[in-house]
Amino acid sequence: MQSELTFKQGYKEGFPIFVGYFPTAMAFGLVCRDLGLRIWEAVLFSLTNFAGSGQFLAANLIGKGAILAEIFISVLLVNLRYSFMGAEMSRKLTKGIGGWQRVLLAHGTTDEVFSVAVWHNQPITKYYLAGLECTAYAGWVSGTAAGFLVGMILPSALQLAVGVTLYAMFSSLLAQEFRQKGFKVLLIAAISAILNSVLIMLLHLGVGWAFVISMLAASFIGAAITDDIQEYV
Amino acid sequence: MTDHPPFMIPILISAVATFLVRALPYYATFLDRLPPFLSKSLRLLPIAALGPLIFPGVILNYEKSWYAGLLGIAAAALFAYKRQSMIIPILLSIGVTYLALLL
Repeated sequence: MQSELTFKQGYKEGFPIFVGYFPTAMAFGLVCRDLGLRIWEAVLFSLTNFAGSGQFLAANLIGKGAILAEIFISVLLVNLRYSFMGAEMSRKLTKGIGGWQRVLLAHGTTDEVFSVAVWHNQPITKYYLAGLECTAYAGWVSGTAAGFLVGMILPSALQLAVGVTLYAMFSSLLAQEFRQKGFKVLLIAAISAILNSVLIMLLHLGVGWAFVISMLAASFIGAAITDDIQEYV
Repeated sequence: MTDHPPFMIPILISAVATFLVRALPYYATFLDRLPPFLSKSLRLLPIAALGPLIFPGVILNYEKSWYAGLLGIAAAALFAYKRQSMIIPILLSIGVTYLALLL
């Protein structure tokens, strides 16, 4: 009989996520500073959104003066994966978690939290998940504030270099997906990357719409050329 | 406060969009019963999202030193391919990009 998952265990397993989020969130804090946000707005951004790629995309769109509908739809689509992660996590969650607790647990869904939490072969308790999510959340929010503050003293070349963090995070994810799932991962990502570049640089489409179109087109093409769903789940 | 842009509105719009997709599976179960092709496409979205999240941003962001970010992400991808880690590839890419910008 395994013992129940505790808050302490969640907090322990969340620590590597904290360490990974902190520099990425710092990069986000720097981006916010460049956009002209105040520090409390940058922190509010991370508190209310708590979504790496979604926040960078939203900040990018705000900087380009995108309309609100473009922001809403782009962020919704880039974060759509949380629905599938949440579906899996809520299936494994212990029963009888109601109202506000569900809302708070749902808000803590991220790629990293998901990949750590679903690894367990036993029901996930709300205490465990709260420990895991709070630790990740703390790293993300405090990193945002730290990045904003450090931006005042960091030389501009180093600030620009820290901006690569976000792209490095995505290319690392891509490399790991490629290793686990093979060549089609690269193919799908390449199709969407080329499409997005053409739409933005040649056709001068808005960043948000270009993102939505290229992401949807590549996943449809990907689904058409993939026989086995299981290998991509 | 008068000439400060109203950043609060897009920040909260983005928060609402994010929260909706997070809360959905905790309250609805139709995600388990979509047509196969659609559910297959939706499961590929995270991979399809990686392409446009990297390109062309990683090139345009560095303007004249367009190669700086590319070198950084190449270093990160190579390291991440060899070993399961998130922190080292990110730190490595910052170092490589910084050097490329200085040279």
